Amino acid sequence: MMETVGTSMLLAAGAGPELPTVNDFLPPEILFQGTPFAINRIILIRLVATVVLLLVLGITAARAKLIPGRWQGLIEYGIDFVRNNVVYETMGELRGRRYVPMIATLFFTIFIFNLFGIIPGANMAATATVTMPLVFAIWVLVQYWIAACREKGFFRYIRDECFTPGVPWPIYILLAPIQLIELLIIRPASLTIRLFANMISGHLVLATCLAFAQYWMVEAANKFVGIPVGGIWFLGGFVMTLFEAFIAFLQAYVFAILATVYINLSYPDE
Amino acid sequence: MMTLADGGIDLFIPKVYDIVWSLIILVIVALFFYKFFMPKFNAIFDERAEKIEGNISKAKQAKDDADKAKKKYEDQLNQARVDASKITDDARTEATKIISEAHTRADSEAAQIAANAQRSIASQQQQAMVSLKGQVGTLATALAGKILGAKLQDGDVQQGMLDQMIDGLDKTSEKK
Repeated sequence: MMETVGTSMLLAAGAGPELPTVNDFLPPEILFQGTPFAINRIILIRLVATVVLLLVLGITAARAKLIPGRWQGLIEYGIDFVRNNVVYETMGELRGRRYVPMIATLFFTIFIFNLFGIIPGANMAATATVTMPLVFAIWVLVQYWIAACREKGFFRYIRDECFTPGVPWPIYILLAPIQLIELLIIRPASLTIRLFANMISGHLVLATCLAFAQYWMVEAANKFVGIPVGGIWFLGGFVMTLFEAFIAFLQAYVFAILATVYINLSYPDE
Repeated sequence: MMTLADGGIDLFIPKVYDIVWSLIILVIVALFFYKFFMPKFNAIFDERAEKIEGNISKAKQAKDDADKAKKKYEDQLNQARVDASKITDDARTEATKIISEAHTRADSEAAQIAANAQRSIASQQQQAMVSLKGQVGTLATALAGKILGAKLQDGDVQQGMLDQMIDGLDKTSEKK
């Protein structure tokens, strides 16, 4: 990240291209400034994304018929995918049934929120502040602790995870704290940072490509060099857009499947 | 221009309003999925599975019924065929029997009739002979008496003449 920015600084000496900066992710408050309900650009995108999600899926569900049309078939395919390929395959149907709505919520919401990173006008994923992924991750954390307390009991869970039987006791000095940190911090943090960092890097790379395309094709004085070089940058931006669409899905899938795996780890071994 | 190195850490510090909005959104979205979206689609999935299963079992039922009906008709048809051939056989046997009986009866009746006829002819002939013998005797005696003008007193002569006459009569009738 640093290198890209550094090189671009050299190239963009003077009135260079409008490269993306960290400020893109820390936009100013534009509504209700200073209150707990302040809204900035990313939160506005998030609200719009939520409305779009609710409208699209809500209308689909309200109009859902026994014999599905093409669009309903696509949505049903998504539900099937979450239910069978993510939840049931990881934890089995018996345990998994109660978590299908949760994992479906995570998958569909993260997927749609991520997609806003490549939707013109938004150009910023709704998951592109640390808070949204963090809130999702904390939900997962709460769920797998609840599952553990219900299925194993609090103390047995701690014992199984931190004082794993069959390990020589001096190892526990090292193992127990690491496992506890893993349970409390590393799992949610890894979920949060994986998603958030993917959205940040995606935006930075995509915006850099397009900024250079704009700079070389429109603003550069020498059009003979500017058009081909800008064309290559634009092609890069085009490819990155498609790649981001794939990443939007992939990260939603990874988040959903890791949430399932973490919850499943709270259940006793069969 | 702020680079990533300058403001990087700010990215990872959640803001209060961001937390508020993220929580609100999460609650809304989760409620939507838990209370509306998933139940709705689960209901549709269940209904669809039920319909498909129902149709399959219905089709199976119909096929079973059809098979049963087919078997029933085939059985009936076979029974009818057996019955028909039995009836034909019976009729044929009956007819043969009737014919042979008729033959036997006709034969015996014919024989009877023939025998009766023969018997009656024989008896009539006998009668005729007896009556002819009587009449011819009387006639001849009367005739001979008249012709000879004498009474044939002697029984032996009378009998001898009579026999002679009858023999002659027989010969004449045979000649005719």
